[in-house]
Amino acid sequence: MTSSNTPVGSGRSWRACCLVLALMLGAAGCVVQDERPMAPVVAQKATAEIPQAELLDVGVRMFDPNIPPDPVEQEKRGIYPDVRKAESRYMPVLLRDTLESTGQWGQVRVLPAESSGSDVNIGARIIESDGSVLQLAVTVTDATGRTWLRKDYEGLADTRAYKDVPVKPRDPFDNVYATIANDLLAARNELTREQRVQVHQVANLRFASELAPYAFNPYLVHDPKRGTYAIARLPAEGDPVVQRMDRVHERDYALIDTLNEHYTNFGETIDDAYVNWRKYSHEELAAAADAKRKALTRGLLGAAAVIGGVMAGQNTNSSAGSAAATAAVIGGIYAFKSGLDMRAEIKMHDESLKQLGSSFQNEVQPSVVDIEGRTLELKGSAEQQYAEWRRLLRELYENETGLPATTAETTRPAAGKR
Amino acid sequence: MTTEDKRAEIDRRFDETFTVFDARMRKEQETISQERAGREGQEGQEGQEGQEGREGQEGQEGQEGQEGGIASGTGSEGGQGGDVAAGAGSQGGGGGVGGGAKGGSGSRDVPADIPDGRDDDIVARQLREAAMKEMDPELRERLWEEYRKYKQSTQ
Repeated sequence: MTSSNTPVGSGRSWRACCLVLALMLGAAGCVVQDERPMAPVVAQKATAEIPQAELLDVGVRMFDPNIPPDPVEQEKRGIYPDVRKAESRYMPVLLRDTLESTGQWGQVRVLPAESSGSDVNIGARIIESDGSVLQLAVTVTDATGRTWLRKDYEGLADTRAYKDVPVKPRDPFDNVYATIANDLLAARNELTREQRVQVHQVANLRFASELAPYAFNPYLVHDPKRGTYAIARLPAEGDPVVQRMDRVHERDYALIDTLNEHYTNFGETIDDAYVNWRKYSHEELAAAADAKRKALTRGLLGAAAVIGGVMAGQNTNSSAGSAAATAAVIGGIYAFKSGLDMRAEIKMHDESLKQLGSSFQNEVQPSVVDIEGRTLELKGSAEQQYAEWRRLLRELYENETGLPATTAETTRPAAGKR
Repeated sequence: MTTEDKRAEIDRRFDETFTVFDARMRKEQETISQERAGREGQEGQEGQEGQEGREGQEGQEGQEGQEGGIASGTGSEGGQGGDVAAGAGSQGGGGGVGGGAKGGSGSRDVPADIPDGRDDDIVARQLREAAMKEMDPELRERLWEEYRKYKQSTQ
């Protein structure tokens, strides 16, 4: 029988199968990740010296690790708590280094999670991080309470970073950090010179008012509803309380710098293992995605061939047509089974990912515990000093003004908390 | 006590607390620097050992053909790193904290007909490593059979 004798119903079946196949193959194709090398995003560097008064200090708070409390949810999303905790300390260091390298800012420091004591404060929540994708929800505000940015950043890994080369490559997600740095710069450039100077002044006054509110609150106008701060007036240059406060502030910076050294040290300690974990995770994720695509394709091809073969068999009278239909059905079954076999491979990749995450978690856990302990110890001993300085500032204020320091003080934890 | 006397007294106490605080920070920073120097020294040494290890291993691979080079990088941190590498089906030689005694294990006999694995993809590597780690001879042979079938299907 020639094709012209093919029943209309059979032709319809084939077309239907083809349509289903095309749609499903399209869907299968969606899971394949783009592996092409990416064009690097370069963090824009300063081309001229920025006046000291306009140079803003940046505080990058430790990221929110965003760990779901439910272990089942953690496993479902491939989140390993200690890995996330490590990332929440490691990533801010990379962002700090990126910002520092531009020369656009004053001091750039990583701050403890609850701090907000810099001119500009960056906070971020890790939405996704698995070696293939990094997604961060970033918020940037300044000391006056102005919001600079509230934006999600997402980037695919630049796989060149996973190649074994003698020179240390870029971080696979350098583009994400560089993009944040460029957006931050664009936001700063929207401020006038006066606004930048005020941001720095407000930051200093907020630090002072938390240690000695009776002396410094009158210099600030705070709108609790809007969360904003403005300058009411500036203290006199030779004010003895201001002079001592400046010396206390220097110590606050020293404490933050020391904590920064710890964070840097921590980053260097886990760097190699973390890079390897991301690299192997990326390989597994890519292989799993490929296997999923193949499984879907083969399953669909098989199903379509079986359906088509059955339909063709019903509508043919010739032995050749019947044999072809049978062959299509057998081929379809084989393809379908092949698709099922691929599912075993997918499971293997999933298991590998779990093993990788668990292994890296075990490796990084002692470092996370160590950095957490040291930070707490350092901050704890600094708290005692802050309490003493608070008492001395109060005595000094009362001695200089002859007035009682009556404004209620807030308790100010160490390390730049505002 | 006059205002000046009182101010001088407060300044003296400020200076005392600053001295204590500064000394605490200096000590902390010295500790961090020492740790960093120690780690860098260790990494330098391990890097050298890792390189020597890789070179030695490559030679051994030439002779034995089958080990797959799981070990890499540093020696003393090798336990956990080796785990990572094994879990990932590493081809080895990739630097990092793999290696050491644990990373280099997996020395079961490899059947004579099994190729050297240089062109293994990630699935083949995992099958190979699973077979090499398997203690049960029957299960091990089944894994090698799976490996053979997989290699045939990808050629």
